Amino acid sequence: MLSEKVEQMMEWSSRRSVVRMNGDKFRRFVKAPPRNYSVIVMFTALQPQRQCSVCRQANEEYQVLANSWRYSSAFSNKLFFTVVDYDEGADVFQQLNMNSAPTFMHFPAKGKPKRADTFDLQRIGFASEQLAKWIADRTDVQIRVFRPPNYSGTIALALLVSLVGGLLYLRRNNLEFIYNKTGWAMAALCVVFAMTSGQMWNHIRGPPYAHKNPQNGQVSYIHGSSQAQFVAESHIILLLNAAITMGMVLLNEAATSKGDVGKRRIICLVGLGLVVFFFSFLLSIFRSKYHGYPYSFLIK
Amino acid sequence: FTPLRGGLSGGLSQPAGWQSLLSFTILFLAWLAGFSARLFAVIRFESIIHEFDPWFNYRATHHLTTNGFYEFLNWFDERAWYPLGRIVGGTVYPGLMVTAGLIHYVLNLLHVTVHIRDVCVFLAPVFSGLTSISTFLLTKELWNQGAGLMAACFIAIVPGYISRSVAGSFDNEGIAIFALQFTYYLWVKSVKTGSVFWSIGCCLSYFYMVSAWGGYVFIINLIPLHVFVLLLMQRFSKRVYIAYSTFYIIGLVLSMQIPFVGFQPIRTSEHMAAAGVFVLLQVYAFLQYLKDRLTKQEFQTLFFLGVSLAAGAVFLSVIYLTYTGRSSYAKIHIPIIASVSEHQPTTWVSFFFDLHILVCTFPAGLWFCIKNINDERVFVALYAISAVYFAGVMVRLMLTLTPVVCMLSAVAFSSVFEHYLGDDMKRQSPPLEDSSDEDDRKNAVTMLMLMLLMMFAVHCTWVTSNAYSSPSVVLASYNNDGSRNILDDFREAYYWLRQNTDEHARVMSWWDYGYQIAGMANRTTLVDNNTWNNSHIALVGKAMSSNETAAYDIMRSLDVDYVLIIFGGVIGYSGDDINKFLWMVRISPSVASQPQESDYFTPQGEFRVDKAGSPTLLNCLMYKMSYYRFGEMQLDFRTPPGFDRTRNAEIGNKDIKLKHLEEAFTSEHWLVRIYKVKKPENRDRVEHKLRGADTTKQKYTSKKVSGGAEASSEGVFIQERTQLDGT
Repeated sequence: MLSEKVEQMMEWSSRRSVVRMNGDKFRRFVKAPPRNYSVIVMFTALQPQRQCSVCRQANEEYQVLANSWRYSSAFSNKLFFTVVDYDEGADVFQQLNMNSAPTFMHFPAKGKPKRADTFDLQRIGFASEQLAKWIADRTDVQIRVFRPPNYSGTIALALLVSLVGGLLYLRRNNLEFIYNKTGWAMAALCVVFAMTSGQMWNHIRGPPYAHKNPQNGQVSYIHGSSQAQFVAESHIILLLNAAITMGMVLLNEAATSKGDVGKRRIICLVGLGLVVFFFSFLLSIFRSKYHGYPYSFLIK
Repeated sequence: FTPLRGGLSGGLSQPAGWQSLLSFTILFLAWLAGFSARLFAVIRFESIIHEFDPWFNYRATHHLTTNGFYEFLNWFDERAWYPLGRIVGGTVYPGLMVTAGLIHYVLNLLHVTVHIRDVCVFLAPVFSGLTSISTFLLTKELWNQGAGLMAACFIAIVPGYISRSVAGSFDNEGIAIFALQFTYYLWVKSVKTGSVFWSIGCCLSYFYMVSAWGGYVFIINLIPLHVFVLLLMQRFSKRVYIAYSTFYIIGLVLSMQIPFVGFQPIRTSEHMAAAGVFVLLQVYAFLQYLKDRLTKQEFQTLFFLGVSLAAGAVFLSVIYLTYTGRSSYAKIHIPIIASVSEHQPTTWVSFFFDLHILVCTFPAGLWFCIKNINDERVFVALYAISAVYFAGVMVRLMLTLTPVVCMLSAVAFSSVFEHYLGDDMKRQSPPLEDSSDEDDRKNAVTMLMLMLLMMFAVHCTWVTSNAYSSPSVVLASYNNDGSRNILDDFREAYYWLRQNTDEHARVMSWWDYGYQIAGMANRTTLVDNNTWNNSHIALVGKAMSSNETAAYDIMRSLDVDYVLIIFGGVIGYSGDDINKFLWMVRISPSVASQPQESDYFTPQGEFRVDKAGSPTLLNCLMYKMSYYRFGEMQLDFRTPPGFDRTRNAEIGNKDIKLKHLEEAFTSEHWLVRIYKVKKPENRDRVEHKLRGADTTKQKYTSKKVSGGAEASSEGVFIQERTQLDGT
């Protein structure tokens, strides 16, 4: 019985470093008593509709740790890494009286899990190194975390540099475009628009793209609170800001350009329309987010 | 708002006298408007210092005016960070205190007797006028006078700047923005003229900025960046060389005179870019010199080799230094940094809230500047891009973005107005057809633009009045009929401390209230808003989050006499200590045997104060002090006794007994509660039942004494004993 179980676990974990479990498997291999191996279980909810971004990050760290163990020289049948997804084993969650994910638990070879066998995610975070320290504490198995080095940043930079270099080399006879003010002005405005629409906030906080109401399937693009925003919302704001700026530039263009009067009139009206309309639109979005703000213009 | 209009319609071709009179009037009115817009708090409450940090600045200024400048520089404050103390003179930017002290001194010399508090309260609004003047000067150098006047009007009322300069917010930023703008003006002036005079002026202004605010680092990086970009654009000239060489050397020497800055300018990574550009500029100038001596071919090789090597080396080292320096700093201080809400990235709502229409139009100004580039417009473009990046990363750096947004928006608006508000008579070639149609169009554009600007002015006033004018020392609540209740609990409690406790009593509180206790109650504190010693703060956090016995040991070891907490449960004040409690737990040192953060949550991971809350929380010192006797209190008939309005819950532990502490003071609305830490008893109280043989005798005497009239100490003693028997 025991050897059969160990063999089964070994086979699974040789195939994948983290063994996926459903309710039955969990009860048979993790909960049921004849056992001489420790099991680390990650309870999580990775399905996209659960919208658990922490789970995904935690899962990555967990995979790193499991792989470090799977391919280390000390790999043995004393310790296994498993995962229970809420959508595959909701009964397990109920059984353990657990209602938050992700949670890491250690099921020792002998006896029931104690208090300290639940990893304190709130306080120490879910970095692989911390998990490894906790596992070493609970099971006496030392895992040296080996992270696959992340080359993506370097590659992107190298690509960019070579692209720019190549472009310069191809156009080496005609370097006039470096002195092109319009190009530089565009680049500067891109930076400005990205920042004023809160892309940096998105980058640091990682909000969802938009929010879908699970009850009626309605998608809201604008976050209801003034403390937060969605990615889609920041894109809308970026476009609005750009439109207003363009309106101002057009107004100026209409007055200075040497074109014929009719064309200038149209440019002027378009510019004015852009500024007034999109600004009132922006103001109405702001008003909907900032509760108690009394002013609006044209659009409620 | 009217001055704005006047400035633009006139002035373009009027005699110079009229023009300067108009500019003067508009600037004066802008100053006046900016000054009055900042007075909401003074009118609603009174002339009082706001918030937290200003209280320290005020206290330091007070010390400066009473004891003199040298005493201030050598000030060792033994009333803060007990028992460590704090060296104040060497750890503050003295510019603010010296400015306020100087104004106070001059006024008193002229026999205008004002209290130093009033000087402190009104310093920031007065300096906002100087800021608008220096913004006018800078914008005038960059674009033209009309844009300058407009920029001055914008910056006088824009909320992004008002947020830091209302009357009563006596903080470094209030004067630093003036210094920043003025330094930039002088820098642009010295690049334009290439004269050492303006350069020296720029250095002096920079010196003032260094003495006033840590944000001077922004200047010492932006100016070198400007020079570097000018080199890249092959706009090198003698003017730039003179301006930067003078500025770097004299500015460096001057900035090192501030004790708090000391040798940082030649040591830390933030200042290395300036040094690198200085070297680069010298090399470049030297090569230019060689150019006259060498043949063209030789020179070209040498030139490219030299410049590219120097630039590469400098920039790699700068990036390396900056990168390593920054990341290690952030890692060390992360729990404290994360707990301060100002260190947060910025949402678009904050941008719009603080800048309104300016945030949408200033890119247009940037566009015009880049399209018509010259030396000084390179500067403003770099200023805009770097400032907008920093503002995106951190909310509080919105302050450095605001001036440049005002300038560039003014450029955008003024160039539109110039074309659409111009006098028809003056035009060289009047349009042949559709003259009236064009006039209509022009009027429409003008009216709508003025409408937008009017909305901006209204928005600014609304934001200032509603969001940025709360002193947070005095709270206000509004009744249904609009009348106002003033909740003055903080000052009530601090004044109680001042009047009723020993002069050297030590008060423990969470670090937010350290400066206020020192400033208003004049008592020794353990930790304050300076947060220079994390372990000390952690110890206080630990005392607050432990149970009473463990906390008593910590408090005894720190010689604490009083504990002050903020409790908002009665009036529904959300910034109280229970809501900050998790930060205390997080910052406190975690030893495995002690309660962890998770112990303060329910098994479901919620932070609750009612019956379902975790027992660790319900028995910790902070909980007990907050809710002591609160269970007896019924606020209204719809809710049970002990209902916490902030967290909308009936508290879980109503029968709180304190053993080592006793309640000393609770303010009118229970906002501030002060507890006295009892001295250890002479001998440990006997916990178990007294022996039977004694009791009969005691009962006998107690009867005898109770008949007597005098309530002697013996009588009290006996009563206590009999009570013990009864149990």
